[in-house]
Formats: sequence, structure tokens, C-alpha cells
Amino acid sequence: MATAQPAPSAPPETAGPSPSGHVPGADGAARRPPGTAWLANRWVQAAAAIAVLAAGYAAARALGTPAWLGTFPDATGQWLIARLDGVYTWIVANRNSSPLFLYGFNYVSVGLGSAVILVNQALVLLTWPGVVFAGTLAAWRVAGWRVALLVLATFAVFALTGLWNEAMTTLALITTSVLIALIIGIPLGILAGRSDGFHRAVRPVLDFLQIMPAFAYLMPMLLLFGIGNPAAAVATFVYAVPPAVRITALAIRNVDAGAVEATTSLGSTPWQILTKVQLPMAKRTILLGVNQTIMLAVSMVVIASVIGAGGLGDAIYQALSKVNVGQAVEAGAAIVLMAIALDRVTGAAGDGTRTPLLPAPWRRAAPAVGLAAATAVAATARLVGIEGWPPAWSISFSGPINTAQQGVQSAIGDATGAFGDLLLVGVLNPLSALLTGTPWWLVVLVAAALGAIFGGWRTAATAGAAVLATGLLGVWENSMDTLSQVLVAAAVTLAVGVAVGILAARSDMLAAILRPVLDAMQTLPPFVYLIPAVALFSVGRVPALAASVVFALPPVIRLVNDGIRGVSAHAVEAAVSQGSTGGQLLTKVQLPLARSSLLLAVNQGIMMVLSMVVMGALVGAGSLGYDVVFGLKQNQLGLGLTSGLAIVCLGVFLDRVTQGRRSNA
Amino acid sequence: MNSPAESTAQPHNESTDARISVRNLWKIFGKNAGSVIGTDLADLDSETVRKRTGATVAVRDMSFDVHPGETFVVMGLSGSGKSTLVRCMTRLIEPTSGTMSLDGEDIAACSPQRLRELRRSRMAMVFQHFGLLPHRRIVDNVAYGLEVRGVSRAQRYERAREMIEMVGLAGHEDSLPGQLSGGMQQRVGLARALAVDPEVLLFDEPFSALDPLIRRDMQDEVLRLQRELHKTAVFITHDLSEALKVGDRIAIMRDGELVQTGTPEDLVGSPADDYVRDFVKDVSRTAVLTARSLARPALPGEAEDGPAVPAATVVDDIVAPLADGTAPVRVTGAGDTVLGYVGRDDVLRLIAGDRTADAAKAAGGQSEPRRPGDAPGDPVGA
Repeated sequence: MATAQPAPSAPPETAGPSPSGHVPGADGAARRPPGTAWLANRWVQAAAAIAVLAAGYAAARALGTPAWLGTFPDATGQWLIARLDGVYTWIVANRNSSPLFLYGFNYVSVGLGSAVILVNQALVLLTWPGVVFAGTLAAWRVAGWRVALLVLATFAVFALTGLWNEAMTTLALITTSVLIALIIGIPLGILAGRSDGFHRAVRPVLDFLQIMPAFAYLMPMLLLFGIGNPAAAVATFVYAVPPAVRITALAIRNVDAGAVEATTSLGSTPWQILTKVQLPMAKRTILLGVNQTIMLAVSMVVIASVIGAGGLGDAIYQALSKVNVGQAVEAGAAIVLMAIALDRVTGAAGDGTRTPLLPAPWRRAAPAVGLAAATAVAATARLVGIEGWPPAWSISFSGPINTAQQGVQSAIGDATGAFGDLLLVGVLNPLSALLTGTPWWLVVLVAAALGAIFGGWRTAATAGAAVLATGLLGVWENSMDTLSQVLVAAAVTLAVGVAVGILAARSDMLAAILRPVLDAMQTLPPFVYLIPAVALFSVGRVPALAASVVFALPPVIRLVNDGIRGVSAHAVEAAVSQGSTGGQLLTKVQLPLARSSLLLAVNQGIMMVLSMVVMGALVGAGSLGYDVVFGLKQNQLGLGLTSGLAIVCLGVFLDRVTQGRRSNA
Repeated sequence: MNSPAESTAQPHNESTDARISVRNLWKIFGKNAGSVIGTDLADLDSETVRKRTGATVAVRDMSFDVHPGETFVVMGLSGSGKSTLVRCMTRLIEPTSGTMSLDGEDIAACSPQRLRELRRSRMAMVFQHFGLLPHRRIVDNVAYGLEVRGVSRAQRYERAREMIEMVGLAGHEDSLPGQLSGGMQQRVGLARALAVDPEVLLFDEPFSALDPLIRRDMQDEVLRLQRELHKTAVFITHDLSEALKVGDRIAIMRDGELVQTGTPEDLVGSPADDYVRDFVKDVSRTAVLTARSLARPALPGEAEDGPAVPAATVVDDIVAPLADGTAPVRVTGAGDTVLGYVGRDDVLRLIAGDRTADAAKAAGGQSEPRRPGDAPGDPVGA
């Protein structure tokens, strides 16, 4: 049940963010004179657009970069940043006097803070034996003894690494934000499932939330709720709520129409239809949505350490900023195990097949008995004076890990360093220079042209406007630098991902080996991908790229593999019967028929790369992500918010250009 | 649009003893639904209406009555509007205009609450794809109608078990629908409909999704239940042999319109137009026509002491008594009154007629004027 956790990876039927403009742009191929047919090839057109960009760069350099060929004028950006800084000053001055805060956000903030503390208190009250007992028992009841053992092992890691309290804080944060996300998301999903109008209204909002990189959320949250757990809970809630709404709506809509019709014909009221037919029949799918919501919450709760969320995320964040790989690995292992355990437990609740069978009289009583037993364990523990895990019982692995990491570094550090330098000097820097050194209006035009080529006129307008907006926000150079990182990482991801995906599709053994690995990778919070990257490449842009590639690979491999395997067996059989070679089969039948999956892979791969590249700021990748972090830390709302918005703009640009035609496919 | 159809389209204009009475029912899908009825467009065929307005006429000005205890079959090819018609009757699809009354009460006009009451106790439907709730046991599926009506658990289980027993599924009360075969699932659908003890049963192609053998069993089951329970039934099917088997009267629909309404014997014996004729041409008339239709006065010098057969006996079933002796059979009506006689010659002539028709068909294959599947809307009367 390890479904992907990052934003753009809802189930395939829901993944396509908004069916955007699908105006046929280059479809007039048939009407062209025969000799110029190659001009209609979209890739030729795209290459021409890139060539224009390079020519513009060369021309600007040759002419000594006069103002009209230079970088984006930053007047609007300066103005905007100044305005936003003004807003920040106002908020700081009026946080305790403006009714908006006194009666609005402050209440939410205090309420959420109390909720997190309350859950945390409850976990403390349960004592560690109580928590371990209750968690393991619940896991066994829902998912069987294997998962129960996994949960037990997870608790053991929390305790032995001395991160018990951090883990409980993270668990409390996740619980609070997931509960809010479900309390709000599921009713909205039910509404969207039953009302076409509401569904149409809510879909673009969800699409937008899903392409918005997590990093872009943080600044406004900080502004409205202050630094700390409440802001983190809201950010996590916003990040985690889309699948709850989307999948619930999908589940309700997919309920067998015949059953709804039959029960209507027997005189059910709408409420009876909902409670007796739709909800029970949609239950499993809704639980899948709950699973996805929890997984998104786990990843966001770690990222939210940047705005003061305590717990394991904070431990990783602190360790990373000190480049203490050992500590980061400890905390990373704890959060990874927590993610996997939560995924397995809620996933099993969704498919319901691994639930152990109890004798009938026990079935109803089980939750009450379990609760009573857990309370008894907790009470006994308190009586003998046990509360949190005693620090003395912990073993620190960070020392050995650091030693090992240094060993690895000294062994292959030169090689990775050289590779990193090569990548920097040979690819990243030139590309960044090209994007920042080309006249800005030419970049905007080329972006629009790419939109037109791959999507149509509406996509062209969106793409051009999105790129233009990054300039208007005053962060043109950083945006172009971030874009260059995204392009390089995406190119590597797609090259590797498509190749591995094709190999996996052709070899059952490779597919069988890859599946659990991809499952596990897709369960991990994105943040932890940075840890091994730092261990290997130290800090800078290269580890951020490495993390992005590794982070984005699983969905690409999976989509390519599934797409090729999903090609109709009849078509493959027919092609084989006509004597196709393996290569011909692949290029003439499987890849063309898997086109929509391949396009989805490109889109998702690029979107995930973007969300990771900006997170790379935490390991020194600079650019937009760094401005967000810097703005958060230094209370510079203007810079943080404009950079966050620029990330969203880049996201919109990349998303629209890469998925423009999917609706036609 | 075709004159023979119109003469039969409204067989009973005012009928006081009808349980269900449908008058001028229209269902038009699409945005411009309202702009068709009552205008010149209403006289055009469906294809033209669709081209001009984008609206699809699914049911066109239908009127018919169903009498208490009668099984009224609506038969037509796919797309003829028959499923839409039956859904309009319980307002699963809201009709565009017209009235449907149940014992004089207009269903089309009643409030949502009243409609629910009617659905909960007076009319129940059996669906092609069963529409069972996969998460509920059989007994809970059958009891569903009573449950939403607010009947206590003990009472509704008792009733549900009775119904399960009646449709021959005793012992499966605690199974889930997914554990039963298609035929058994449809028995559950039948039991669920019967559990609320409705006066009217609506069947929407109930056996189309079943294997032929199971389908025959289920048809027999419905006939048996109808003999015991005498429900008023509207039965939708696209299968002519099913229609002839279960129907007391049959209405043939085409492009949303009634083409002919009558007993199986009417349809086979005197089809209203080429469309109906084409439909029934493969039916062996000896299996449908009854002794009554062949009965004639005794010929001079004919023996009048042959075996007696009831008037409703189909011709196939009087072949054996005729073969046993030379005397014609006596066709008897109510109170053993003799309605007439049927001799060997009469039956042979009927069989010969069937054969000649078959031969003509085989010979004239291509020159046949039309088939039921032809493009809709081409004028027949013209």
C-alpha cells in the first residue's frame, strides 16, 4: 500500500492537475506541403526555440549586454518586496491588537497549539510502555502480526536513539493535522462526490494545491500563525488535505450506480443512500485517501521544522545545518520507520485483507478491551514511576555513523567531489549562465513558444505569464538559477527513469526486485533524501540535484513500467506475430501506446524535482529555496514570500508545458 | 409516423380498472428538452430532432394501461427507450411531461416524501445488474426496503427470511452477494423487491445478464411467483421469446414510441406493421396461437366427440390429442361451453403457413423491405 507521498502523485486518474488548454497547435501537419513535414515535429520546433534562446544569449554577450538585452528590471520586485515587508511590520505591530488576529488567527493558533500539546500530553500520560503496547496492539488488530512487529521495531528505534520525545511530538503534530484534514476533507469530498457543481468548483483549487511545492506554503503560515507548532499544523493540514477531498469524492463517485439506483427505487432518503450505500461501499477507497493524507502529513511535518515544528524534523534540520550526518541519519531512520509503519497500518486498514480474524464475540469488544488493557499498562507504568524513555538507556549511533561517513568520504570523496565539480562547471553553471544571461524578454518568449508547441495557445499564455511573473516578483536571477537546476536534475531523472522503467517492463525479475524498493522510497518523506546526498556530496547544488533525482525516480520508473506493461496484450501479440524484433516492438508499439503514461511520468518527474530542488536550499543549493529559508529565518517577509510565489510560478510553467497535451492523448 | 402503429398506440383511452395508467409520457434528454413537446418538432423523427436541437427523444408520447395482476411486457431493441420508460414510471428518471398514475394517483406530480412512500411500499423494481449492496449479507439486502421504511429488525428479518425461502435461497441468508452466482443474485434482487409486498413490480431486463439456462429457470420462477402472488408487473426485455413467455400483453417499442400493444397471439397473429412482422417472423405460430384462434364451427358430418381442450391451449399442445384419433378437438370456454372445433387440417394448414413463410424468407433474403435494426426514422407508411 505504499502509495506515493509527494504532492503530484495522487492515483493516476486524479493526478492530472487541471485539464488545461488543449488547443491543437501543431496538428495541422497533414495540411502542410509534403517537403516541410519535419517542421511540424514538435521536437524540431522546441529545438528551434532553444536555439533562438542560445542565439539571444550570444548576441547579448557580443553587444556587451546593453540594458534592453539584460536581466529583468527589478523595480517592480523592489516595490513589491518593500510592500510585503511593510505588511510584515504591520502584522508584527498589530498581532496583539488587530481584531483579525485577536479574534481570528490567534484563536486558531492557540487552539491548534493546544491540540498538539493535548495529544502530546496524552502520549506522555500513556507512558512509553503504554504507547508501545497500544500502538503494537492496534497495528496487530488492523494489519496482522508482521506489521505489529514493524511497529514494535519502530518504537524501539525511537527509544534506542534517544529520540522518543521528538518522535512523540512529531506523532502529536501528525495526529492533529491529519485529524483536521480528515474532519474537513472527508465531508468536502462527500459533497464533491454528490454534487457536480461543487466538484467543478473545488477541483481547480485541489489541482493548484497539488502543484504547489511544499516550500512555498511556509511563509504565509508563519505570517499568520507565528513560528511554532500551530503554523506547522496548518501548513501540514493544507498540504495533506487534497487527497482526502479528492479520493473521497472519487470513492463516492465510483460507487456502483446500480446499487444507488436500486436503493433509491426502494425509497431511501438521500441520507440513507449516503450512510447505508455510498459510505460503506466507498469505505476502502476513502481509507486509501486517509493513508495518502497521513503520508503527506508525515512529509510536510518534517519540512515544517523550518517554521518551528518540533520533533524529528527539527532534529534532522539541526543536524543538516551542522552537517552532522550521524545525527541526521538517526533522526532520518526514526522518521522513515514512522512513515513506513503508518503507511503499512493504514494501508492494511484500507484493503482489509490482513486483518486477523477474531472469534465473533471478540470482534465487537476488541477496541474496548484493547483500550482497557493499554490503560492498565499505562497505569501500572505510572505506579512504578515510568514516564518517558530514560535517556540513559539510549545508544547513540551518530558517532559510528559519522566515522563511517568520513571513511566513505575519504575513500570516494575525491571521486564524488570531482564528479560534482564536473557537473557544476560542465553543465550547471553554463545552463544557469545561459538562462540568466539571455535577455529576459527572450526567455519569456521562448517559454511561451514552448507552451504553444507542447500545449497550445492557452498553455503558451500561461507559461509566458508564469515566467514573466518570476521577474515581476523581483527574483528573476534566482528563478532562472533554480530553473537551471530543475532542468538538469529532470534530464538526469528522466533519462535514468525511462531507461530503468523500460528494462523493468521487459524483465519480470527486475520488476519484482524494484517493486519493494520503489514502494519504500515512495513512502519516505522528501526531506530525508537530503541526508545521503549530503553524506556523499557534502553541501551545495550537487547534493540537492542528487537528492532530487533519487526522489523523483520512483514515480518515473513506476509510471514507465506500468505504462508499457499496460499496453494491450492483443496489440503486442499482433506485432510479434508479424515478426517484430524486441526493439521494433518497443519503439513502434509499446512506447507509442504507453504515451500517456510516459507524458505523466515526465510531468510528475519534473514536478517532484522542482519541489526537491527548492528544498535543497537546506543543504546549500541557494536560489529561490534559500531565499525562502532566509526570509523565514530573518523575518524578511518580502523576500521569502516573493521567492515562494516564484517557486509556484515555476511550478505552473513546468506543469503546464509538460502536461498540456495529455488531455488529447 | 406509421399509421398502423397509431391505431394501437392508445388502446385504452379511459380505463377505470387500470392499476397503472400512463398518459402522453415524454422523456427528452438534453438541454433543449422543453422546446420539443407541443411544437412542430414533436412530429419529427428523433434523428431530425437531435440534429436540430441537440435533444434526444427517449420516450415519445407513450400511453398505456396495466391492469391488476397482469404482466405487461415492454419489448424493444436497445436504444428504443424501454429502460428509460420503466425508470420514468418510478421517477428514477424524471419524465419531461405526461402522467403516470398508480391506482389513480399521479406519480409524476407527487412530492418527494410521497414518492418515497410509494417506492417503499407500493412499487418495487428488479434491475438488470441486480444493484445489490456487496457489503451486506443477503438477509440485509432483502430487508433493505423494510429497513429504510423503519420496520424493526426482528420483523424485517422474519419477512426477509420468508422471501429468501420463497425464491429458493434458503441457507444463503448470511452469505455476501459476491459469494453467489449471477442467477442467485438476481433471486436476491427478486426477493428484495417482493419483501416490501408491493402491488407493482417493475422488471428492467432482469435476466439479460444471465446465462441462457439460468435465464429459463428465472423466467419459470417469475411465472410461478406470478401465479401465486398475482402482482401487477411491468417487464422490460429485448428478448421476444421471453416476452412471449412471461407476458400477458406485450407492447413493442421502437425509437421511443409504441408500435403495437397486444397479447402474444395478437402480435404473432396480426402484426400491426412490417416492423412487428419482421420481429415475430421467426416465432413458431403453433407455439403462440391458441385453440381459440383456430376454433370454427363443426363441419357437416364431422365427429363432435373429440377430446376437449381449453381455449387458451396453444396449438402445439393440441397436436397430440389430434394424433390420438381422427375427430377434431372440442375447444371449450368457461363452464365447458364448446366454442368450436379444431381439426387436423386446420393445424396442418397453420404449420404449412409457417413453413411457406420460412421458405419465402430463405428465397427472398435480400429483397426484404426492412429489418428491425434498420436506421431509425425511415418512413414506413409512405
